[in-house]
Amino acid sequence: MKWLDAFSEKSARTLARRTSRRSVLAGLGSLILGATTVPLLPVARGADTKPAGGAPKADPGDPNSCDYWRHCAIDGFLCGCCGGSQSTCPPGTDMSPVTWIGTCHNPSDGKDYVISYNDCCGKSSCGRCFCNRNEGDTALFQPGQSNDYNWCSGNAKANIPYHCSTARIVGTAK
Amino acid sequence: MRLLVNALLLCTSLAGSAFADLPSDTEHGSQVATLQVPPPKHWVWVNDFVFPHMADGMAYLIDGDSGRYLGTLSTGYGFARVVLPRDGKLIYSPETYFSRGTRGKRTDVVTVYDAGTLKPLGEIPIPAKRSSNMPMMSNSVMTDDERFLLIYNFNPAQSVTVVDIKTRKFVREIETPGCALVYPTGPRSFFSVCGDGSLLLADVDDSGAAHQKRTKPVFDMSADPVTEKAVRIGDTWYFVSFAGRIYPLKADAHEATVGASWWLTSDAERKAGWRPGGIQQLAVNAQKSRLYSIMHRGGVETHKDPGKDVWVYDVSTHQRVQQFSLKNLATSIQLSPDEQPLMYSIFIDGTDLDIYDAASGKLLRSVAHVGTTPTIMVTP
Repeated sequence: MKWLDAFSEKSARTLARRTSRRSVLAGLGSLILGATTVPLLPVARGADTKPAGGAPKADPGDPNSCDYWRHCAIDGFLCGCCGGSQSTCPPGTDMSPVTWIGTCHNPSDGKDYVISYNDCCGKSSCGRCFCNRNEGDTALFQPGQSNDYNWCSGNAKANIPYHCSTARIVGTAK
Repeated sequence: MRLLVNALLLCTSLAGSAFADLPSDTEHGSQVATLQVPPPKHWVWVNDFVFPHMADGMAYLIDGDSGRYLGTLSTGYGFARVVLPRDGKLIYSPETYFSRGTRGKRTDVVTVYDAGTLKPLGEIPIPAKRSSNMPMMSNSVMTDDERFLLIYNFNPAQSVTVVDIKTRKFVREIETPGCALVYPTGPRSFFSVCGDGSLLLADVDDSGAAHQKRTKPVFDMSADPVTEKAVRIGDTWYFVSFAGRIYPLKADAHEATVGASWWLTSDAERKAGWRPGGIQQLAVNAQKSRLYSIMHRGGVETHKDPGKDVWVYDVSTHQRVQQFSLKNLATSIQLSPDEQPLMYSIFIDGTDLDIYDAASGKLLRSVAHVGTTPTIMVTP
């Protein structure tokens, strides 16, 4: 699995749809909101439910593919390949309530969305569908924008091993 | 057929008479190998957080001169790196464990290993807050006087654990709100880098307490932010931006100044997409004042991508003095600290450790199958 090789090629292909720095900063502004309320947002309850207003009219692509539009800043194993989905954790795991965010462009409706990459925790690494894309990713100095932290180790509920990562819509980036 | 059998019997008989019996392994020699202490300068520790099985972190010791695999440490969950004191007698390893392997009570410790036997000599319990992140050299460091071990915490409140190496006890936690990682700057001082590009300067007293000072922003974190992967020669830390601009930072307990920045690339090279990338993308040899960088071509979002080229700079003149291509993609490079430096190169998804003559860029040897997801390399 030469994932970084694959990623390098993919990065070149996806360069054109990389989000702007401005949209990333807009995402940073939403960090506190995302960190504290993400688990309560109706849009974050799973791909099978019909999202309320603010969610895209169409959600194009394969959520188990690294190319999927929501994965623009993800770094980990895709939960959809591990018994969950892009917005739900696999059975028997816990979702980390705090996480990092990215701002990803939905090619279907042309809007930028704030995506919360909540980790699922409590079992050893799933090991399937590894994906690393770094659009808008910054260093560990800015935790809310860095995909290099393991968010499973950051709180009482989920101070347990990392299993996989979701990509949940928080809302549109203004 | 009978002739053939007779010939074989004759050969066996002759062989038996020509060679003495091999000595018994059970009556002579030791059962377990031991290692030279202090270690030679051409040994290297390859750290591995074993991403598919993170409870099983490991560190591997390789002899760069022979390519021989010398030994292993088993280092628990979310492992970052070993920390090596100058005398080479001990190895400090900040580690995390769960009581049932992947569940149960979490305990964090600094395990102290004997460098000659690689056996644990003891454990120092520390707060169960050690940051689990893509491993960085600045996750765990010693103060320059080697009195205190400093460990970055993230839960997600940010702080630094202070361990007294002399008494082998946890002494204090220093709050570093909004600021990450640990970069030593002197006998008892360090800084952390804050999200707005400022620094938290800290001076640690005998009790492990820190006197802190927050600077104004010294790095631009928006247009072209710096990475965490800084390297140090003397009193200067060299930070590199995503685009490949070097910021030399001189800091001590009280003040920090960033000198004139310089580029790893020319304007034309930047236009062609050349930039640094990787996990441990910079390495320095202080004796030669050389800085090595893994380079590749790609957009800004490729700032952690591997490269197959290494460019070398004289940090005093900022001039590029050498370029060479690697046999394999690399996410990490490291240099031995001596006057005839080796350069080690490894890829997180490749696991062959390649060993180069750092002066010529010539590949000397490769060591196959070193770990699972090797991250950062530490030299004595």
